[in-house]
Amino acid sequence: MVADGKQIKIGLIIIGALMLLYGSPVTAQRNEGTITIRFTHSVQAAPLILDSGVYQNPFGEVYRVSKLKYYISNIKLKEYGKSLWLKNNYYLVDAADTASQQFSITVPAGKYESLEFMIGVDSMKNVSGAQSGALDPTKGMFWTWNSGYIFFKLEGNSTASTFVNQKIEYHIGGFAGAANALQAVNLAPPGNQTIIIHKNAVTTVYINTNVNALWKGSYDLKIATLPAMMTPGMVSKSIAENYKAMFSITNIAAD
Amino acid sequence: MKRVIILLLIFFIVAFTFISATHSLPGPKPHPLKLNIPPGWPKPAKDIFAGNPLTEEGFQLGKKLFYDGRLSKDGNFPCASCHQQFAAFATYDHDFSHGYNNLFTTRNAPPLFNLAWSPLLHWDGGINHIEVQPLAPLTAPNEMAENADSVLKKLRKDTAYVRLFKAAFGTPVINSQRMLKALAQFTGSMVSSNSKYDKVMRGEAKFTYAEDEGYKLFKAHCAHCHTEPLFTDFSFRNNGIDANDYLKDYGRMRITNDKNDSLKFKVPSLRNVALTFPYMHDGRLYSLGQVMEFYSTGININIPTLDSSLKKRVPMTNVQQNNLIYFLYTLTDTAFVKNPRFAQ
Repeated sequence: MVADGKQIKIGLIIIGALMLLYGSPVTAQRNEGTITIRFTHSVQAAPLILDSGVYQNPFGEVYRVSKLKYYISNIKLKEYGKSLWLKNNYYLVDAADTASQQFSITVPAGKYESLEFMIGVDSMKNVSGAQSGALDPTKGMFWTWNSGYIFFKLEGNSTASTFVNQKIEYHIGGFAGAANALQAVNLAPPGNQTIIIHKNAVTTVYINTNVNALWKGSYDLKIATLPAMMTPGMVSKSIAENYKAMFSITNIAAD
Repeated sequence: MKRVIILLLIFFIVAFTFISATHSLPGPKPHPLKLNIPPGWPKPAKDIFAGNPLTEEGFQLGKKLFYDGRLSKDGNFPCASCHQQFAAFATYDHDFSHGYNNLFTTRNAPPLFNLAWSPLLHWDGGINHIEVQPLAPLTAPNEMAENADSVLKKLRKDTAYVRLFKAAFGTPVINSQRMLKALAQFTGSMVSSNSKYDKVMRGEAKFTYAEDEGYKLFKAHCAHCHTEPLFTDFSFRNNGIDANDYLKDYGRMRITNDKNDSLKFKVPSLRNVALTFPYMHDGRLYSLGQVMEFYSTGININIPTLDSSLKKRVPMTNVQQNNLIYFLYTLTDTAFVKNPRFAQ
């Protein structure tokens, strides 16, 4: 039997359909670029060096940091009155893990006046059972005895601490009611800059996290008085209101 | 032409096989299950399986995990070591359960059943979703003393688990989310609704005289908090038990930081209560007789957060106490504690 045109056509249609099943290699060209957000960590002007760096807080208390981790979520770009939500993003920034300090998101090309994000995890994800990815409870940022995420974790030691091994330990979180410690941060670029995203190009926004903001804001966090806080509540919330001032955009660079 | 088609087909089959292998095509679909809501029962306030479709394969994986000692640090403490089926999944005859390194727990292990109806778990309600509950005993140094990452490493080495995770979730990936969801499928499926009480309510059996008298007392004095048909209203209350001097356990207050919640604990279900002795959050009352005596005469009426319904205690004669106990015995669900589906 000789195959006729009809059989060839059917054969090609089947193959075509199966190729579609596995996704076409050709993606549509859209007017999109990439924003890369990069975190650096400091104590005032000095770069944060885990374990060995010795720093002083605004109350003159001397401390070292061994661990610093926090959640960044719900990232938005603001475009003169409108805000563009970049959905489904939870990032766990870890001062000990360079890979975690940088992430990229595809966004529509355009000019944006500011960058907004949350420090922490929204209440919905705190009450919806086992999560994965950055929210995997094995990341050490989940309270097992009082379900909920630790939004911000700083551990270290200080000569001002009265605890064993002069430990300091701040595990801050809480999503319920008045003690909701979720903080919104809105960052404008320095000077008269704007965040410009070009089509098919990468714009990097450099954010510096200054640890010393933790100690003093509307609440005085003195190590001598409170060397540890590891539960949700109004004090945790006050500490969160302090640390939301940690962040600033230091530079914007287009590729 | 025919040869062209054959060549095309061969090329395609090879390509397809290659793609299948690299994409690790999902195996057969797991078989869906439905949580049976007994007739006349309320619907659970929230669907615990909304983000975790209940399947036979998920249930079976959860069951294997529940009975597996590898979830604990030294292999000796599976979930089932404190949650024994013959005790309606509480710890039989223990005020505190035993954990890693000869340590005790700090609260009486609650029985496990009808969890799909329970909005919050633990005596203090600290756990807001059944999926994240296992993380508490798993990581507690006096219970299973493990960490989830280490458990996952052990599971990944076992080809039986690789197979079961694939059967339950489509791919052989073993992660904490899947482990926790599978456990939730097993424990969330436990429904106890076949006690003598249930049979009486369905018209299949009759209370004895004493049970019936006890039921009347129950409705008059207990049902306010131990609301039928689940025998709890899931609230947190102070029932007049003094603080334990050693544990200094103030219950719900630890979670809410609200002093009005001091010494409040979750109202436990009374289903299978004859099997779950000793009683109260610290297991300080050994028998139902002692519990009756406590409510009759032992409630500390001077604790400020005492539940308003108990301010005058619940005085009962000996005969009334006995009748009430006879009624409580009718809440034992033998079919549940012997159900092979939940057995190892």
